[in-house]
Amino acid sequence: MAEYRLDCLGEACPVPLIKTQKKMEQLKVGDTLIVEIDHSCAMKNVPEWARKVGYNVEIEEVDDGEWEIYIEKTK
Amino acid sequence: MNFTNSPLYKKIFKDAWSYWTGAILLAILNTAMLAISGKAWGITTTFAYWGAWISKLFGADVSGWDFFQIEANAKALSQSAFTNTGSVQNIGIILGALLATLLASQFKIKKLKSYKQVIAAALGGLLMGYGARIAFGCNIGAFFSGVASMSLHGWIYAVFIFLGAWIGSKLLVRYFMT
Repeated sequence: MAEYRLDCLGEACPVPLIKTQKKMEQLKVGDTLIVEIDHSCAMKNVPEWARKVGYNVEIEEVDDGEWEIYIEKTK
Repeated sequence: MNFTNSPLYKKIFKDAWSYWTGAILLAILNTAMLAISGKAWGITTTFAYWGAWISKLFGADVSGWDFFQIEANAKALSQSAFTNTGSVQNIGIILGALLATLLASQFKIKKLKSYKQVIAAALGGLLMGYGARIAFGCNIGAFFSGVASMSLHGWIYAVFIFLGAWIGSKLLVRYFMT
């Protein structure tokens, strides 16, 4: 049940999504990935993709224009 | 401030609007813009004007260029950023985007991640600008306004913009992502 962080601050679409997809492949079931983003379009497409795959997703706004997306690998 | 916690404020200013809301608003505003200004909505032609006005400030004579032999473009040469319709529209987009991000309190000055990013952005910008000029429009002028007015060129543009985006994303992953 490890927790990983992925720093995507300063990255524009579609880089955060591609990086998240690659990172999730390396995780084990039960692990959580926290993606740090500051691009509002990544706020839409990253959770959208993760939910479609069936992962648990939570979003937290940590600062003005800055978010952390928690993605739990469920399968 | 309390009102920023209200669900209505969140729905309108904070959260992203649905694609449907966006599409309907774009359709209405595009029609209104065509009716009021008499011209299909475009963005990048104005950038050529901005470039020409700035060049004029430095004493360059651009009136002999092919681009400014077209009547509408020649007319723009004698206008300014505040009297040219397309120019006012573009300033409106910039101010509107700023206002939207401020209302959602999502304004942020982002730091550069790497010089690769700078090169990618500059290359992308130059290619987009060059492409928009030889195609006589960007994804708004050539694609959006083209398709909205049922012009064939808009649909051809659509096919190739998807092709370009596909190739572009492959290049991005291959060369610019570390």
